[in-house]
Amino acid sequence: MGHSQNREYVQREYDAIERDGEELISTHCCFCGMQCGMNIRVKTDSKEVLGVEPRYDFPMNGGRLCPKGVAAYRQAEHGERLLHPLIRKNGKLVESTWDEAMELIVSKIKGIQAEYGKDAIGIYSGSSMTNEKCYLMGKFARIGLGTKNIDYNGRYCMSSASFGFNQSVGIDRGSTNPWSDIKSADVLLLAGSNTAECHPLSMPYIWGARDNGAKIIVVDPRQTKTALVADIHLDIRPGTDVALANGLLHVMIEDDLVDHDFIENHTTGFEKLKELVKKYTPAHVSEITGVAPEKIVSAGRMFGQAKNGMAMFARGVEQHATGTDAVSTYVNLCLVTGKIGRKGSGFATFTGQGNGQGGREHGQKTDQLPGFRKITDPKAREYIASVWGVDESEIPGPGLSAYELLQALGKEIKCLILACSNPIVSSPSIAHVGEYLKSLDFFVAIDMFLSESAELADVVLPSTVWVEDDGTTTNVEGRVLRLKGIDRTPGESRRDWEIICDLAERLGRGKYFKYDSPEEIFNELRVASKGGIADYYGITYEKLDKMQGVFWPCPTEESEGMPRLFEDLKFNFPDGKARILAFEHKGPNENISKEYPIILSTGRVVYHYLSGNQTRRIESLLNFCPDPYVEIHPKLAVKHNIGDGELVKISSARGSMEVVAKITKIIREDMVFVPYHWGKSLAINNLTNPALDPNSKIPEFKVCAVKIEKAESMGVKHG
Amino acid sequence: MGKVLYIDYERCIGCRACIVGCEECSGHDHMSRMFVDELNPGETVATSPTPCMHCVTPACAESCPVQAISITADGFVLSASMEKCIGCKNCTYACPFGIPRVDDVKKMMYKCDMCYDRTSKGTPPMCASVCPTDTIQFLDEQELKNHSPKEVQYQWDFGGTTIETKTVIGLPDTRSNNFGYYDGEGVQS
Ligand code: SF4
Ligand code: SF4
Ligand code: SF4
Repeated sequence: MGHSQNREYVQREYDAIERDGEELISTHCCFCGMQCGMNIRVKTDSKEVLGVEPRYDFPMNGGRLCPKGVAAYRQAEHGERLLHPLIRKNGKLVESTWDEAMELIVSKIKGIQAEYGKDAIGIYSGSSMTNEKCYLMGKFARIGLGTKNIDYNGRYCMSSASFGFNQSVGIDRGSTNPWSDIKSADVLLLAGSNTAECHPLSMPYIWGARDNGAKIIVVDPRQTKTALVADIHLDIRPGTDVALANGLLHVMIEDDLVDHDFIENHTTGFEKLKELVKKYTPAHVSEITGVAPEKIVSAGRMFGQAKNGMAMFARGVEQHATGTDAVSTYVNLCLVTGKIGRKGSGFATFTGQGNGQGGREHGQKTDQLPGFRKITDPKAREYIASVWGVDESEIPGPGLSAYELLQALGKEIKCLILACSNPIVSSPSIAHVGEYLKSLDFFVAIDMFLSESAELADVVLPSTVWVEDDGTTTNVEGRVLRLKGIDRTPGESRRDWEIICDLAERLGRGKYFKYDSPEEIFNELRVASKGGIADYYGITYEKLDKMQGVFWPCPTEESEGMPRLFEDLKFNFPDGKARILAFEHKGPNENISKEYPIILSTGRVVYHYLSGNQTRRIESLLNFCPDPYVEIHPKLAVKHNIGDGELVKISSARGSMEVVAKITKIIREDMVFVPYHWGKSLAINNLTNPALDPNSKIPEFKVCAVKIEKAESMGVKHG
Repeated sequence: MGKVLYIDYERCIGCRACIVGCEECSGHDHMSRMFVDELNPGETVATSPTPCMHCVTPACAESCPVQAISITADGFVLSASMEKCIGCKNCTYACPFGIPRVDDVKKMMYKCDMCYDRTSKGTPPMCASVCPTDTIQFLDEQELKNHSPKEVQYQWDFGGTTIETKTVIGLPDTRSNNFGYYDGEGVQS
């Protein structure tokens, strides 16, 4: 079945059904980091998008799709697509021509830069974009606009994993192993990941491991579908992962379930960890985490005794003011037991956004240049300057991270260019974010739908949907994939890369942005990444087609990429050794109080994607889950006299909202949970805490202190 | 050897991709013929899908006054023929699994037809194709009934009448975990 790297995946040997008058465009889902393969059914003559047909031969998902994936194509012909540029006139967004819109943007940018300097322009972009677009955004900010202030919404998503992996093993690829390896594990520890709902296409691998006899440990404050079928469910109090992982390490060290040879030869820092975790006894950890001590002991033994195993985690571990500590502490589980560098042994973080991995590799992060290079590294700057054909001094230094950038709007930053993101739904404490956006001198949004954020813009530029896009993305495994677009641009919409190149041209920087196709951008990206950590140099569009995706690093034309990292047990530090790092449990930034006695946590539902700008417009997905709700344990509900389906007012120190109660035993008694895919008065981010992890600058979305009370008014009903 | 639907209850994550997938099959007019139920709402998140069970002696077809429901050579029970169906709902009342639905506007019955346009070409039906967890699979009937990896059920007792179905259910091993099949305790705080 195709290339040998794909043999152990879940592809199936069936033919896709073809119909007269239609063609099948093979591409990938635009949503989560699984990047499932699919065929889009297109009418041959009119190029109208008709539907979806499984693509059984794509290794990762073998035709399987979650409901978002099945319904994704329905965006293409959606009546709410933006088809013309819009300019705000007398307070209203009205249709304009491209020329008028672009000239207005250029004159505003020039005026603002003349008055306040180049850094007064900010770019806030997204990680659902192709690698080509992410690369282009980073280059456009630095040498198109000359601003240091570019960052992206992946800051809210993967940045703690990124920092944690870098500090532990010196490289940030979201998974050390190909996904097919999961089936070979003897134990899987899934922490802070509602895998079934957020990454459904990981389930054939997880259930596959279980079929082979693997034990499953789930760390989650809620009894999700994955936890329901787990061997051990550690029902942790949100924000206490560092303590729990230290507790598991304590048990493994106590029972001598560690790999002394591996620790000795391939790591540093074990003694310090050993000392630190002495006090993290099961009883002590139980007090902090709320998990029964016996379960901590069983889980520690289960993980320690297994020959092969993987630790896999997601935002539940990472979206904390101590998210980077937690990531490295979970990585320690693999390092002290030597579970790394083999089939079925390693660690991974589940990528939230479609291109969460590639989006953070090619320079749209404020502190990075393409190929995962540090923007402060003189050698990296010199190299990228030579690729771009500019003087090294022309590349600005690091600017503000995503949330800091939003906070600076109206102050240091007077003009914002927003692409493929909806921060007024996805940021913490969004009432403030609304004020920041409104205080801008000039605000440009590029999107395919009028998102809650775009509604506030001065100019909105219509872009294409993903089925009309060509390019590459990098999935949860570190596999670079090829998206093939339908050749059409409905109405006057244009592709994002063309919009950016046109802007550069009009700003007089066109000579640096002469591309005729995404492939040309990719070829430049390959060179720019050459020699960097995320080395794409050896990856070509042709190779991507032939191999159904190529894993980075792929440094030469002959190389076929590296599905599994660290097989030689050499880690990415000068001494080749992984770092076992010891962190104390510090707890969440905000603690519960008399006034706000309950912990609030947020997350996803399977039917929606991020801010819901796309999935809330797809009727079938919206019908399955039309409104947010709050999960409350029956005992907590009784205390507050709240019945199932009744309206509840939840408030934190930052804001409040009314939402329908869903009374369920799947949640802890000391917390509530609300999904975050809605805007305006239905946005739970009215309440969340903008405290940032000092290293990754990720906000603490997963814990804040709230109170709940029965609401008086009649609000929205949960369907 | 014929293939049938195999449903492994334990694996279902309640994502309803099977429902959205079913809508995508040609001839389904964007109306799903699959149902997904919460087994114990408020107690657990356990869910299970219910497609047509494709009974060996289908009560829907037998009760149809105009013989609109035909059975294929492979034993799949099809949707009522458009020309014949009078929308009387006899099939809905007769089916012990509550499967056939009637579109009140078109006065037409619709039910799972095993995606006959796909399965007749050897391609799995849409629900089995898209189900992200392999809860629904398209597998060989005899092998399943004789050597399934799990305990299976394809005979059902309805008040003394035994009904045999081609759709085969894989039963969870509730000795190790209750999977939400009876009162869960929820999580402890
Ligand atoms: S959302 Fe994720 S799991 Fe669902 S189909 Fe798309 S890529 Fe696959
Ligand atoms: S698609 Fe599969 S997992 Fe999802 S609800 Fe249907 S049967 Fe369950
Ligand atoms: S077999 Fe086809 S018609 Fe029947 S439920 Fe599945 S998708 Fe629907």
